Amino acid sequence: MTTLTPFDFQHARSKNRLSGLWHLLAGFRPRYAGAIASLAVSTGAKTATFFLIRYLVDDVLHQPDLARRLPWIALGFIGLALVEGMCAFLSGRLAAQTAESIALRLRNYLFDHIQRLSFAYHDRMPTGDLIQRATSDVDAVRRFFAEHAIGVGRIALLFIVNWIALWNLNGQLALASVVVVPIILVMSLFFFKRVSKVYEHYQEQDAKLSTTLQENLSGVRVVKAFARQIYEKDKFERDNVEKFRRGKSFLLLHSFFWPVADVLCGAQMLAGFTLGAVMVMNNAITMGDYVAYLGVVMQLIWPMRELGRYIVQASTGLVSYGRLAEIAREAREPLEEGARPALATNRVRGEIEFKGVGFEYEAESRVLKDITFTARPGEVIALLGPTGSGKTSLVNLLPRFYGYTAGSITLDGLELKDYPRHYLRQHIGIVEQEPFLFSRTLRENITYGLGRAVSDEDVEAAARAAAIHDVILSFPEGYNTLVGEKGITLSGGQKQRVAIARTLLKDPRILILDDSTSAVDTETEAAIRDALETLMRGRTTFVIAHRIQSVMTADLILVLETEHIAQRGTHAQLIEQDGLYRRIYDLQARIEDEVEQEVGGAEANDETLPESYEARETEETLRVLKTLRV
Amino acid sequence: MSQNEFEEEEFTTTFSGHTLRRMMGLTLPHWPWLLGFMALITVVALQDGVFNFLKKQMIDLGITPRDTTALTGVMVVYGGMILLQSLGVFGFIYFAGMLGERIQYDLRRQMFNHLQELSFSYFDRTPIGWIMSRVTSDSGRIADLITWGLLDVTWATMSILTALAFMFYINGPLGALVGLIIPVLVFVAAQFQQRIFGEYRSVRKMNSKITGAYNENITGVRVVKALNREDANLAEFGGLTGEMYRASFRAAWLSALFLPVVQFISALALTSVAWYGGSQVSVGTMTVGDLQAFIGYIAFMFWPVQDLARVYAELQHALASAERTFSLIDAKPEVVNLPNALDPGTLRGEIEYNRVDFYYQDGKPVLSDFSLKVQPGETIALVGPTGGGKSTIVNLLCRFYEPKRGVIRIGGRDYTELTLNAIQSRIGVVLQTPHLFSGPIRENIRYGRLNATDDEVVEAAQVAGAHDFIVTLDKGYDADVGEGGNLLSTGQKQLISLARAVLAQPEILIMDEATSSVDTVTESLIQRGMERLMAGRTSFVIAHRLSTIRRASRIVVIEKGGISESGTHAELLRQRGHYYQLYTKQFRHKLEKEYGLSQLVGAAQT
Repeated sequence: MTTLTPFDFQHARSKNRLSGLWHLLAGFRPRYAGAIASLAVSTGAKTATFFLIRYLVDDVLHQPDLARRLPWIALGFIGLALVEGMCAFLSGRLAAQTAESIALRLRNYLFDHIQRLSFAYHDRMPTGDLIQRATSDVDAVRRFFAEHAIGVGRIALLFIVNWIALWNLNGQLALASVVVVPIILVMSLFFFKRVSKVYEHYQEQDAKLSTTLQENLSGVRVVKAFARQIYEKDKFERDNVEKFRRGKSFLLLHSFFWPVADVLCGAQMLAGFTLGAVMVMNNAITMGDYVAYLGVVMQLIWPMRELGRYIVQASTGLVSYGRLAEIAREAREPLEEGARPALATNRVRGEIEFKGVGFEYEAESRVLKDITFTARPGEVIALLGPTGSGKTSLVNLLPRFYGYTAGSITLDGLELKDYPRHYLRQHIGIVEQEPFLFSRTLRENITYGLGRAVSDEDVEAAARAAAIHDVILSFPEGYNTLVGEKGITLSGGQKQRVAIARTLLKDPRILILDDSTSAVDTETEAAIRDALETLMRGRTTFVIAHRIQSVMTADLILVLETEHIAQRGTHAQLIEQDGLYRRIYDLQARIEDEVEQEVGGAEANDETLPESYEARETEETLRVLKTLRV
Repeated sequence: MSQNEFEEEEFTTTFSGHTLRRMMGLTLPHWPWLLGFMALITVVALQDGVFNFLKKQMIDLGITPRDTTALTGVMVVYGGMILLQSLGVFGFIYFAGMLGERIQYDLRRQMFNHLQELSFSYFDRTPIGWIMSRVTSDSGRIADLITWGLLDVTWATMSILTALAFMFYINGPLGALVGLIIPVLVFVAAQFQQRIFGEYRSVRKMNSKITGAYNENITGVRVVKALNREDANLAEFGGLTGEMYRASFRAAWLSALFLPVVQFISALALTSVAWYGGSQVSVGTMTVGDLQAFIGYIAFMFWPVQDLARVYAELQHALASAERTFSLIDAKPEVVNLPNALDPGTLRGEIEYNRVDFYYQDGKPVLSDFSLKVQPGETIALVGPTGGGKSTIVNLLCRFYEPKRGVIRIGGRDYTELTLNAIQSRIGVVLQTPHLFSGPIRENIRYGRLNATDDEVVEAAQVAGAHDFIVTLDKGYDADVGEGGNLLSTGQKQLISLARAVLAQPEILIMDEATSSVDTVTESLIQRGMERLMAGRTSFVIAHRLSTIRRASRIVVIEKGGISESGTHAELLRQRGHYYQLYTKQFRHKLEKEYGLSQLVGAAQT
């Protein structure tokens, strides 16, 4: 493999897409030029073969010293073929090396670039679109260099070299032999443009057919349940026939273009042959000239038909470059930037202070305003509040996933913005409600991102503390079990415990927890609760809470309501105040009462359904329906 | 079945003559097209040989003796041949292309129709993606081989034969010499093509791995950032792209080497011709035109040889495609009508599961010794943990599968004595995740009864409670639901699938209630629609909603493949068992939502 010069797409960004592609060539320009030069030599050698034939016919054949000179002629053929072949190979190899290296560089660059773009970018960019660009568009750029640009170059070289050869044979003949070239060129351009449109049309139907098939397969239960096989067959038949029809028109286009182009080229050659023959008879050219002419003119005319294809295809490379440049234009999150690299040696205590912090997501949409509080090392801060009140946004500011837009946040007395992001993230652990696991083994998922080697014992100890060890051992391959599509599917609670084990190994000073256990059964809930308690010990912890039970022991509870802190204090303090906290508390208590009543009531009476509840439900439904109609 | 069976790009190791014959057999219904393009390509190949011969005649008959009349004659023939050949070119492109489209059409149709007949077990073990590839890409690959591949082989063979014939005609010994070189050329070319194909296969594999890596890193970007995994990920990814680079670079330079090597071998032939032929010309046994013709034929020979090699490489690929495709077509449905199956005209009557065993995979029982009797008009609520066997119970009733042991009776008769259609056309199914088909709402509802009038569709929507939201849409009943219904909300999809079931007027109803939450209004609407639908029908409900459960005539708690508790709501609550726990939790959850507590604490929507 070639060693790669460090590559930065930033240098290859250009408003003009062609010059952008030129910049992409950086480091490979001599090689690519070499590819084209070799191609020229190869083409020249091929053409020289015909001149050797001319020499054979004119100056050797009817000479007395034929026997002596013939071996040299034979050697000449072999020599020219060797040159032609070796140069063609060299050209292909150099072009491939250039194109593949550019693709390799682009892939690596984009992969890294994308993972270092900000959350704001990822939030607005669909995954499918990014992947499409990183794969298909990179491939289109690769093909631009490997096939299309070289293809255009090859045909142009064939034309130039062979035309010069013709000119050498006879100027008049050379001029007469290219009359049809502009016509073919225009026709082929027009044709291939049309072809790519018709092909798109054909592909659209192909996609439609696939959708019909896909819906049929994923809806197989519905199809069978309603016994709709015949209906489905008819539906597919319609799409199938349409695809056939579009395939036919695509085909017709081809079946008209090629014969017409053939007739044009054929007529051109016939005219050239005739003219040449007349010239030989008039002694304007020699027989050798004529034999050479027959070979050279073929090299010149036939490839012309393909030029349109390469030009049309090359234009897709330009479009793809533009789409890649769009990604490159986005600024990366600077991970190491920050004035305090020396801090890395100090131990983080975990004292965090928010002073009048505000946060606007994108422009104009305020999410947080005037957030002020202090978390001392080891304290548990609970965040409670309705959906959209800004709980998640608040904790997202800590690892600098997003930047706060007003006020100040300090960690151990120093402004958060002065810490490099990498450093912060190293000391903050996050356990989400349903964490994302990678398609790797469980062990790899637990040790993911640790950045140091961990012994099996440590991994198992962490898994035990996270109450996931036994679950893992129940899988046939234990810690080597693959997670995801090709392996096992874990429940939300199990995923969460894997993430807890991971965080235990990471051993951060600051912890962010999304405490929601509503989706798991009681047994698991207890296991997760224990695991979480182990994890929180001695760390400054931010808990996004969804119930009173999980905030009762917190050192500070922040009740958030539309962007700001509405209430703050401990459970004992808040329960005495009028406000959201008590409302939640009361509601929970009332619900428990009602549950008790419901269960007890039904137990008491065998026959009747709980009237009150049913009646109220229906009444409410009707009321809502009425308001809807109004 | 092993997972490997569904890996893409798998190649057969043995050359299968049987598969090849069967593949060629696909052309039989369209033999005129086959014959047409074979004949035309043969003519075109012959003409290619003739063109070169005409050039020789130009020199020998026209130019050398300075005979203008003869020259004009040759030129007229040449011109005529050009026109004739262009007709041939038009013809073979058209014929071969049409044959290809027809075969693709046939294959797709055959596969799709067969898929409609296959049993559930086939879909359980066969990934949808695998089936899709067979129908979409393999059909194309097979058609390509037996049209363009066959065309290339015919053209190449005919061209080589014609060229050889002309060469023998011009000069026997020299012709024989060139004839010896052709097998060498073909062999070398085939070796190259096979290797190049192998490399391209690894390129495709690496490409899908790279796509996977992108996908994972982008969807998991939050974790990547939180754990500072950027550098390690890039290093891993670099391993993938490095491998991709090696494979594709190798494929590319092998391709680049292929041409020169073959050309060089041709040049050796050319040299011997020049040497031997040159001396013949000087003694007068060969003309300059003869020499020119030989040079022309050898230079031309390269193209047919390359085509032969390419088709050979593609052949193996196409054979693998054909084998997979035929395996799909040959798959036998497991649940079929017995020879004397009958349609009793109705499914009303007692439904009985008698000591039923069922498993999807050997050694992993799902239901064991399961017995249950249901009286006409009863509503059975099936509750219990995921994986307990609730879905299997209703799948068996629909006869999507049949019991491995034991028997299911409907109206006192073993249901395998009935036709599949008799059962499935009278059972209505409302699924947990409602599946809609792209197209207008009207057509999706009509799916329940194809001959229903527009009025009946509206009526059904009204009964199901879907009408109100449908008329608020811009296009009303003609609004497109999008692919898989994705333009509608979950609740709306549920309402439409209810309407669909209402229209079907089933005798037995199976409902798999959704666990996903919808807004309160929609939930009430769905509830009411369900009640209307269940009225007077024997119903099985995999229940999650409390009111549904409470209203059931009987609640059956399914756990670990059997019934753990069974009885009315009150009876079960008194037992303080699993149902009690389940109910308490559900009830609390419902109240939390109702009182807006979930909203107040920002609980995730589950």
